[in-house]
Amino acid sequence: MPKSSKGTQEIYATPPSGIKIKINGCWHNFEAERDITPTMTLSYLLREKLGYTGLKVSCDEGACGACTVIMDGKPVLSCMILAVEANGHEITTIEGLQKDDPVVEAFAEQCEPGYGTALQCGICTPGFVMSTKALLDENPLPTMDEVKEALSGHICRCGCYAGIAQAVMHASEKIANKGDES
Amino acid sequence: MKQPYTPRANSNRKFVGGYRPRIDAWEKARGKVEYVDDITTKSRFPDLLYAKVVRSPYAHARIKKIDVSRAEQLPGVITVMTYQDPEFTSLKPTNAGWTDGVDTVSYDRKMWADFNDRLVLGDYACWVNDEVGAVVAAESEEIADEAIRLIDIEWEVYPFVLDPIEAMKQGAPLVHPEITQNNVLPPEKMGGEDVFLDKGDVDAGFSEADVVIEDTSIHHNATQASLDNWCCLVDWTDEKLTLYSNSFEADQSRMHISQMLDLPLHKVKVVSSYVGGQFGRGDTGDQPFFLFTAMLSKKTGHPVKFKHTRHESFHDSRQPAIYYGKVGAKKDGTITSLYFKSIGNTGAYTDHSIFALKFAPLEIAEVSFAPIPNVKLESYAVYTNKLPACMMRGVGNSQFNLIWAHLIDLLAEKLDMDPIDLCIKNFGHEWETLPDKSLTEVLKQGAEKIGWNEKRNSTPGQGPTYGRTMKRGVGFSLHPAWHAEWQEVRRGHIPVSITLNADCTVILDAPTVETGTGSNTCNVLGCAEALSFLGITTEDIHWNHVVNTETSLKDCVQTDSAVAYLQSEVIVTVAKEIKKQILERAEPVLKAKSKELDIVDGRIFVRKNLNQGISVKELLFQGDLVPIVAMTSRLVNAEKTGVPYFANFAEVEVDTDTGKVNVLHLVVLNDCGTVMFASGAEAQQVGGQVMGLGEALTEEIIYDEITGVPLNFNFIDYKIPTMADMPEIDPILLEIWKGAGEYGACGIGEGTLTCTPRAILNAIYNAIGVRINDIPIKPEKVLRALGKA
Repeated sequence: MPKSSKGTQEIYATPPSGIKIKINGCWHNFEAERDITPTMTLSYLLREKLGYTGLKVSCDEGACGACTVIMDGKPVLSCMILAVEANGHEITTIEGLQKDDPVVEAFAEQCEPGYGTALQCGICTPGFVMSTKALLDENPLPTMDEVKEALSGHICRCGCYAGIAQAVMHASEKIANKGDES
Repeated sequence: MKQPYTPRANSNRKFVGGYRPRIDAWEKARGKVEYVDDITTKSRFPDLLYAKVVRSPYAHARIKKIDVSRAEQLPGVITVMTYQDPEFTSLKPTNAGWTDGVDTVSYDRKMWADFNDRLVLGDYACWVNDEVGAVVAAESEEIADEAIRLIDIEWEVYPFVLDPIEAMKQGAPLVHPEITQNNVLPPEKMGGEDVFLDKGDVDAGFSEADVVIEDTSIHHNATQASLDNWCCLVDWTDEKLTLYSNSFEADQSRMHISQMLDLPLHKVKVVSSYVGGQFGRGDTGDQPFFLFTAMLSKKTGHPVKFKHTRHESFHDSRQPAIYYGKVGAKKDGTITSLYFKSIGNTGAYTDHSIFALKFAPLEIAEVSFAPIPNVKLESYAVYTNKLPACMMRGVGNSQFNLIWAHLIDLLAEKLDMDPIDLCIKNFGHEWETLPDKSLTEVLKQGAEKIGWNEKRNSTPGQGPTYGRTMKRGVGFSLHPAWHAEWQEVRRGHIPVSITLNADCTVILDAPTVETGTGSNTCNVLGCAEALSFLGITTEDIHWNHVVNTETSLKDCVQTDSAVAYLQSEVIVTVAKEIKKQILERAEPVLKAKSKELDIVDGRIFVRKNLNQGISVKELLFQGDLVPIVAMTSRLVNAEKTGVPYFANFAEVEVDTDTGKVNVLHLVVLNDCGTVMFASGAEAQQVGGQVMGLGEALTEEIIYDEITGVPLNFNFIDYKIPTMADMPEIDPILLEIWKGAGEYGACGIGEGTLTCTPRAILNAIYNAIGVRINDIPIKPEKVLRALGKA
């Protein structure tokens, strides 16, 4: 779940034409038509207008998962959501994750023999990371079948699925261990 | 529990060959790395314009009349240019032969020079989606798209042909009549004659055989499907032209632009950042969009961005090939004669068809068929009105493997032999006697891992039935590698430089476009190994990931799976020069000649008096703090060392009621010579199976036969396997063969998927007792083969 950080600019008085979206903990105000057109997708707003280029737009029709962000705790395809639909909602992009996020760490570190790395060219990685983040937030100890089900909406053309699956399992362990420590 | 690989005895490596994360793993996992689409946003180029091009709605047509006035009047449109403009009519015709995948060539020396069948912007369309007629630059992509729709074109529509056999018949529509009057590409110097290898006497070889087998196989139009759609930005607003692209080569692009636009090389700058996978897609010259984007930039005085949609990025594909094969053998399994003939569907433009159909099989014959006395290879590349076929991971080899390992399986069955024994008996390479150690070992270990003896049905189709309708079987396929160092001599010189900073950190300039292959990590490991006398680790080495033709050395083109070890071998040479320079600098300080000195673990000392020494860091921090720099550009080592082998074994389960094939287990074996980076190599082995399994079972471009329109240029209907579709995969790395040089490694990336389709097909036969040789193996083909549909 996105953390609501202190010092966030909460906007209480929104003009009728105003659109507000909480992105990585900060509320952003937009004016309809001027900032957000009716056909603008959330992925376009995030990448082209706001510079969150971590998410990638590849198929632009909901088939590859590269544009996945988290909206209100659920993974969503930002190319399939209109920017206006995000009005009043909380969005987390990969830029909103901590540097030592266990999912990020597990994807980076995977080199357990027999599975390969969890990424090669890296273009699909932010999407996989965000879906994994949402999965583990909801189900911290998934089975391998649950991992496959949760991530089967993503394409990795380099084919690192086995490494990714291991990374998800390791991330799950990391989260459990952190929980034990606290 | 999976086991790490076993390094060659006494290899004593500190860095090379290790299991570890990629050097870019953290940046990639955090989404921090920037691809071309990320660095060419409007926020970075505030006066950016967007380009779009007209795409032919017809499979075969010519523009009779074009009227761009409505488009020009659309607010936000800055310019519209057409094929009639002098900027385009003055350009030379071109093709994809600006590279054979590895070296940089000039216009006159490019391959397939007889087949200049492409114009940068012309009036002639020979497949649906062909980029022709007019280009637009506008303030936004939407406006540019709308402007394209407002261009009025009157087309002269011609009959078209999609099937290569039909295209060869008299009276078939001619795709490029100026080049061929029967759609068959005429012989040329690179690929040779139609019969491009005729060793011994194949007819005599078949006559003396006790058994002769023949059959066909069909490989289809798969596509690379990189998630990083084609994209470029060209800034040609003053006399210098700058290109940002996600092409896999920078130096070749620079030469291409320089020669096509008649610009001096120092006035062309090409910048390549990270690329989101390339898999062989495209080659310099089949991307005219660099050039028309440049024209738009020059005319408008703005930087211009051109980006394909996913649909438009179905722009390159694997060369589809129909192969006929015939093999003759003695009763004891000795092959007396081999004959292969292929008909390739070149599609709308020549591109690298001949590379796939002739060059690649010739490389296989040179090594694997060396022990066989009579071999004949024949091929025909045929123009049709389909998506052009070019390089794709495993170029030509995947298609050839589909027939070759099929004949092996057929012949072994006829002779009542184990196909593994048949391979060991017949195939090797020219510089070694049979049996070939590498071939024998990959097959032996593969058989053991898959459970060949226990799981293989002695009578195909007659094994036990699982869950009422399921049949299981195993199969394999093998192939020689084609990426030993001697096979890369066409690359010429490979430059590398190392800068040793005063604090003993290192800047490594071993440029190559980072496409995900792992060569960057191989190079850092190779560099750390070669500089291990400094007592440094990989953390002390910075590898430049952006190739910039103004500031980088020439990039080693990211093809042939060879960059990882080619550059590492040169790094070894450069590291020796670094050591020499350090010792020279130490001479006055230690009052000894450099030949009396040595360096171990970062300390320079006099050999005869170990106490007399100084740390490298201390030495470098004296005086002017100028870094030590060494650069070497050396030719690829041409010493012929033969090649290693690789193989795939598959276990499948076929539902005889529905026709669905489930792959249960894949074993992927690569003899690497030397494993440079174990985790990266395994990632290639595991990862390649997505493409291999996809090509075998689900991936296929489908055309409407009536209109010639491709129907599934999207990731919904072009079915790429996902995590849920992949079986258990066992990657096995071996170090049996060794090439020339310090490491003697061999590329593996492409080979990992070359054998996958045939291994699966042979397993399907073993499961159901009926052969299907036309991939992808969709359920309806299985049911038809079983007589159920």
